[in-house]
Amino acid sequence: MNLPKIDVSSLPDLDTLTGVFGSLVDAAKVQSSNDTIIVMMTFLYDIYPPNPGSGLI
Amino acid sequence: MQIHPELQALRNDDAPQRRAQQALHDAMVAWRAAPAVAAIVDDVARFAEGAELAECLALARLFVAGDASVLDLVHGFTAVGAGALMAHPLAHLPQRHYHDQVLSTLVLARAGQVTLSLAVVDGDSFARLPPARTASFWPGEAWEHVLAGRAQVEIVQNVEPRGLPVQLRREPAEMRPGDVFVRHAAREAAVLRKVAGCLVSLQLQRRHVDAGPAREYDLATGALVHQSAGDPRDSRMELSLAVLGRMGRSDAAPLMASIAREPGSESLRWQALRECLALDTRTGFATLSVIAGDPRDVLSAPAGVLRAQLVEAHPQLLEL
Repeated sequence: MNLPKIDVSSLPDLDTLTGVFGSLVDAAKVQSSNDTIIVMMTFLYDIYPPNPGSGLI
Repeated sequence: MQIHPELQALRNDDAPQRRAQQALHDAMVAWRAAPAVAAIVDDVARFAEGAELAECLALARLFVAGDASVLDLVHGFTAVGAGALMAHPLAHLPQRHYHDQVLSTLVLARAGQVTLSLAVVDGDSFARLPPARTASFWPGEAWEHVLAGRAQVEIVQNVEPRGLPVQLRREPAEMRPGDVFVRHAAREAAVLRKVAGCLVSLQLQRRHVDAGPAREYDLATGALVHQSAGDPRDSRMELSLAVLGRMGRSDAAPLMASIAREPGSESLRWQALRECLALDTRTGFATLSVIAGDPRDVLSAPAGVLRAQLVEAHPQLLEL
């Protein structure tokens, strides 16, 4: 049978979209009581030595 | 541009930085091995496995107003951490930490869905921010013990979470050193309004798994302005699905079909269904039909609508 190839962009999203974990609209607000903050981090150096096995982070 | 000679030297030889980092790491491992701290770390793991806070004695004591153990923990940590940083000023603490002009956080211990962290809000920088317009609710529990500084907060209760807009009840409250706040974060949010000095607090948070998304509501109207995944795993999975989809990995379609049919985040299940349909029409359409045909499934209605649209555009799908 010749099945159609469906383009993903033609498929609708749900009525209420769900952003990634930690995303906010009111970014000005301090999330003082929330650990759900997304932070983009740039590492200049490893902050964790190899094979530490201590579970610090 | 001026580059400090010590930093310049690190460009050619990073061994001193690695030694400094090892020193910080060793200092923190030693700090954590102290019996009083180790008991708290063990309790965090037990708490993450579902124990009641009262069963985790060392951890629970940290959130008893007036108990000295919280200051022992924090003073012990800062003494070791600051001492090591003074000896190695270019090193970083190995624990997860975050800092901007207003908020600094540092995770002292974590296990599973539980974090124990220190948070500091700088009052002067906070005063320059525009006032918060929204309150965020997320599936989980939060404990907060104020150690220093004072703040005015608004405690926002989501008294009628079903239906939109929600009804928010707002009450002012004071945060003072020694105060302990306990919240069911899905129903209650704390919005900072004014901070005098530096507000320092120890925070314990336990996220609930598979308990729905985090939701942000407009304080003035109760309208839903945003929702986001309640679990970072859901977001990771959605990103992975998108990558597999763009790579054309049709071999992932059966796995996507299982994700779409398993209990879990509606958003994650729907994205799995979309990617599955695009990668493998046969598997995707069969999964869509199963979901659409199960009236107990929350995705049944949108799946039914999508199925009807696809059948109209591609009548041969009905022959599957």
